[in-house]
Amino acid sequence: MTTAQPAADSSRRRQWARRLLLIYAVGVLLFVYVPPTYMLLISFNPGLLPHLPSLSHLSVKWYSILFSEERMIAAFKASVVTGIATALITTVLAVLASLAYLRSVNRSLLFNTVVFPMFVPGVIQGLSLAIVFKLPNIIPSLWTITAGHILWALPFAFIVILTSMSALRGSLIEAAQDLGASNWQTFRDIIFPLVSPGITSAALFAFLLSFNEYSRAYFLVGGQDTLPIYMFGAMNAGTSPTIYALAGTILIVSFLGIGAALLALNVRQRRAA
Amino acid sequence: MVAEASQRVNPIRRGGVAASPAAAGLGGPGLYLALPTYVIVVVLAVAPLALLVFWSFWRYDPATYWIKPDLSFDAYQTIVSSGRLAVIIKTARIAVTTTALALVLAYPIAYFMHRLAGARLRMLLSLLFLVPFFTSYIVRTFAWRLILGRLGLVNTALQALGVIQRPVEWLLFDEFAVQVGLLASYLPFMIFPILLSMTRIEGSVLEASEDLGASAWQTLRHVVIPLTTPGIFAGSLFVFVMALGSSVEVQFLGGAAESMIAIMITDVMRVLNFPLAFAISTLVLALLILLLVIGNRYLGLSELFRSVSR
Amino acid sequence: MDNLYDHPSNISRRQFLKLLGVGGLSLGLGGIELLRRPGLSAAQQKQTVQLTFWASGTMTIEQYWQKLEQQEGIKVNFTDNGNDPGPVISKLIFGNAQQLYDVGGLQGGAEKELAVRGQLEPWDESKIPNYKTLWPWARDIPYIRYQGKLYGIPTVINADSVIYLPEKVGKVDTYAVVFDPKLKGKTAMEDAWINSAIFTAIYLKENNLQKIGNPGNLTKDELGAVMEFLIKKKKDGQFRTFWNGWEQGVQLVTSQEVWAMTGWEPIVYAARRAGVKADYAVPKEGYEGWSNDLLLFKGAGQRGRKDAAHRFANWELGGYYGNALGKLRGYMVPTDNNVTYAKAHPQEWPMQEQKDLADHVKSKFFSMKGAIYWQNVRPDNFQLYEEWWQKLRNA
Repeated sequence: MTTAQPAADSSRRRQWARRLLLIYAVGVLLFVYVPPTYMLLISFNPGLLPHLPSLSHLSVKWYSILFSEERMIAAFKASVVTGIATALITTVLAVLASLAYLRSVNRSLLFNTVVFPMFVPGVIQGLSLAIVFKLPNIIPSLWTITAGHILWALPFAFIVILTSMSALRGSLIEAAQDLGASNWQTFRDIIFPLVSPGITSAALFAFLLSFNEYSRAYFLVGGQDTLPIYMFGAMNAGTSPTIYALAGTILIVSFLGIGAALLALNVRQRRAA
Repeated sequence: MVAEASQRVNPIRRGGVAASPAAAGLGGPGLYLALPTYVIVVVLAVAPLALLVFWSFWRYDPATYWIKPDLSFDAYQTIVSSGRLAVIIKTARIAVTTTALALVLAYPIAYFMHRLAGARLRMLLSLLFLVPFFTSYIVRTFAWRLILGRLGLVNTALQALGVIQRPVEWLLFDEFAVQVGLLASYLPFMIFPILLSMTRIEGSVLEASEDLGASAWQTLRHVVIPLTTPGIFAGSLFVFVMALGSSVEVQFLGGAAESMIAIMITDVMRVLNFPLAFAISTLVLALLILLLVIGNRYLGLSELFRSVSR
Repeated sequence: MDNLYDHPSNISRRQFLKLLGVGGLSLGLGGIELLRRPGLSAAQQKQTVQLTFWASGTMTIEQYWQKLEQQEGIKVNFTDNGNDPGPVISKLIFGNAQQLYDVGGLQGGAEKELAVRGQLEPWDESKIPNYKTLWPWARDIPYIRYQGKLYGIPTVINADSVIYLPEKVGKVDTYAVVFDPKLKGKTAMEDAWINSAIFTAIYLKENNLQKIGNPGNLTKDELGAVMEFLIKKKKDGQFRTFWNGWEQGVQLVTSQEVWAMTGWEPIVYAARRAGVKADYAVPKEGYEGWSNDLLLFKGAGQRGRKDAAHRFANWELGGYYGNALGKLRGYMVPTDNNVTYAKAHPQEWPMQEQKDLADHVKSKFFSMKGAIYWQNVRPDNFQLYEEWWQKLRNA
């Protein structure tokens, strides 16, 4: 056997593995997408039943009245605002905490403390926070909800950034410091760029966790419901299929966004080439 | 030989070879950085919970429909005597199964996305896995009822293909459906941490492993998996905690009046039995903290994320 | 000679001030005119009060609240409270619900508890003239009063039984269908001990399978017997599932996951609107009655909204609200005012429909037994109910 043969073999095996895994990944993706796609399809059914529409009866009826569902739209906006606030504050706190983790000797205490809120059942956490806020007579609002969400998202964001930081090489940091970089410069020029996928992921996670959180917001909600609270109420008391139109809208907008992002990436790559 | 090579790049061992702060190359006190986080967690989480733990030792007073300071272990005894413990155990069991399944399902995807997919495909897949979370998970879980039900998508498809004559009943309203719902809800929380931790693996290490004659499988077992331990731990922790605290999937997809910890606590609070509710949550909290402490001592979990590579 | 054009300062101060005054007044009035909303008289404009209504989702009339604003100058801010006494009282005491909400609407039975906890103020019947028009047996519901004072005004009343698909199970006139072994895996009940325990108790009592006093308020032993029966049925696989909330209930019926289940009447209407043939049983054992009551929170008094709250309550019993409820949900207010109002305003509401609805509801309460079995969200042993329900959950 010539020496070229094993290389060809292994690259063929690589290709084979690649194709198999791609099919597998797409399969799992489809699994995750069955419910949202189903909802998207239902949203085009003009009838009241949450069933798939027949091809002859497609309609955008629920989309057209979507924005007249004031309470739902208001709740959606509230959730977006709360989510962004949670994401920003949580990410900053998580970055600070993970930098502290890198430097400290007593990592256990820091780790356990930050991770602690993760283990508290949601309703209990919300209730205890409500008690805390009642003492200085803080009126429940989107800010109290944000506080509850921050507590929930912080451990996740912290661990995500740590996971990303675990890929950092100490030698890079040493080198930077040997060259006279201050702590801030080291962070700005070395750590941050390398860890930015982790920070982005942490911010995204924090947003999504806040956007989807129900029980922690429950005792902290003031005059304005968040979307999960509205949805829960709608599921209990009855609602129109506009909730499917909302889900459909989010999906469509997200896909458009992804498409745009990919196009932008294409353009940038072509320009760089 | 492969094992030796992997040992050099994987210094995470029991007890931990503590890389000194100097070796990590950073000086200065980490305390100031962590202070805001400490304050927030202690003031908003730890302190009020201590109050609730204290109240779990009070007793319910039927005359005033409230709790009164009559210190007792009643609430804790009730947990054992009236079937509450069974719910905690069942929830834990479901959470563990979900985590294990999620790990098995997610790892190959993360591996594929990191090693075998180009940058564009990786980003596309990442975004695609995230998008469903921007829609309400309540509606998503509700959709599973429509998909797995008697007249649902799966049954209709199977019947149209002639695979079955009559609808399959066990697709919905049992643990199978709950598991499906939980996985669909929380899988991306396993994928992303593992993916992030894979950036720790340098191509040179994998080449070295190949050069030393390791098969792909051996490389996976002795190099890739150990190096992604932080990601595995992170993802497992995420999915476990979220499944443990979940209630929607069981309520929408489970059998008749199935229960989870979150549902039980709400049930108990609904009848103003706050001592019992606080006792349950204290117990759950204590068990999880105990697991964490044990994990820290014997598996060095909290040390897992140190940057150790040079 | 003083010339206005040459010397503005020659305008005497008094004239100037007069000018200012008139100008200011007209501007002010004009401003109020600009803010004026159509339909309200000037007097009412100045009095528009905001009232926050924290109630069960069944009690809101959505777009029809505008009429209240027009007629009484009260703007209703409705929030759904999930119709669950536990979380409601928790939010009142642990949370700041007292600072947020003026009037509450909750399923009947929790009045005593809320009153004991000091969360409610009693209604002043003298300020609610329409209260007298409530049907006598509605005013006689035991749990709306505590220590002689009126705490809950029953504004929505109905009686529940069984929803079923006649094409699958034929005509149903008994609760036995839900427990029928021939329908194993095809029935359901609500995941709420409040409803399901009383249904089971009514079934057992009226079919002489168990000695029970008041199905709505079971003693320790009666409760044990009832729950044991239910647990056995669950273990036998009788139930496809238990449902939780409107959407789940409707979906079970429209997707034919179950062929018979205990539940709320509007689910039948919803199923029919969606094209599914569903019927509501007229059970020989009798219906299970419930009411959603209006409550007056202490916070309303602190915010000076007690009067507005009373006017609100009176308006709800006035007829328009009942008509709107009937149209939206098929529920009704237990008073003849609805029919009277519809008669007087035929362009607004079809009178015959209201009359039919009123007769239909009345018939439920007087058809079978005489005494209706009232559902009470806080039976004496309510904590025991929950314990037993937990055992059912574990079974």
